Amino acid sequence: MNGPIKKILVYVDGTESSITAAQYAVVLSRTLRAELSALYVVNTRALEDLLKARIFIKAEEEEYKRDLEADANRYLNHVQSLARKKGVAIEAVSVSGAVHQEIKKYVRESEIDLLIIGELSHVRSRRDEFYNEAERAMRSVSCSVLIVKDEDRVWELYDALT
Amino acid sequence: MALVDLIRPEVVKVPLVSTTKSEVIRELAECLRDAGKISDVEAVVEALMKRESMGSTGLEQGIAVPHAKTQAVHALTVAVGISPKGIDFQAIDGNPSKLFFLLLAPPDQSGPHIEALADIARITKSQAFCRTLIGATSPAEVVELFSED
Repeated sequence: MNGPIKKILVYVDGTESSITAAQYAVVLSRTLRAELSALYVVNTRALEDLLKARIFIKAEEEEYKRDLEADANRYLNHVQSLARKKGVAIEAVSVSGAVHQEIKKYVRESEIDLLIIGELSHVRSRRDEFYNEAERAMRSVSCSVLIVKDEDRVWELYDALT
Repeated sequence: MALVDLIRPEVVKVPLVSTTKSEVIRELAECLRDAGKISDVEAVVEALMKRESMGSTGLEQGIAVPHAKTQAVHALTVAVGISPKGIDFQAIDGNPSKLFFLLLAPPDQSGPHIEALADIARITKSQAFCRTLIGATSPAEVVELFSED
């Protein structure tokens, strides 16, 4: 752990691209001998916004929050399993709030050197660009950011780790 | 997947011919069936009406967002409908609803469902955009408006 990257954070949201990012993070963590954390954010800000907009009723907000918490456990368990298979220690963390703000906060408080995120979805409008949570996090965090592309290549790298 | 990617001409109904809440939900469900997005119209209508029975998804400014979790879809599914005359959807402001965003999601995909609903919530904040949408006269025009936004 003498290199420039000592602490890596991978943001996991359950999408295939975020799982690919997690695989790449495992590869990098092993290669650089850097500490690895995985973060899932239960987007309670969106739930609150939907309640405020009256698209959700209270019972619905609570039901979806439980669903998202279950998703967090499921995806973080999967990422932990990916790391364990390659002998990499990983800290899995689930928090609640506004996604980009929570990522930024975790990066700052945990002194993360590198944030790894999955490939960003194609921007079809200015609104997409503004509201894409991963993109907002990428722009606002204090550390360097790595966007993982090429799922097949990442799988090969991950698979090749003995 | 972004909401805009799900809004294709085949899932847009302009103008809606329905005049009641149950009719418009069925009309949009049938639009999704015709587009090959669902096969069980009855299950979809039942899920949406069950949600409506808990409280109308008719918002202010002529917008309604009927939505439900259902096993009748395997992925997030959206339909958009426009009724220039307006339909009584028991909206919170009492006004007729003209712009309908119908969302269906499988029970195990709450994350994408919430993101899509949040996208709609943001869209509906722009009264000018919603007015333009309500004025659209063809599915292609609706798709184009979303792409341009």
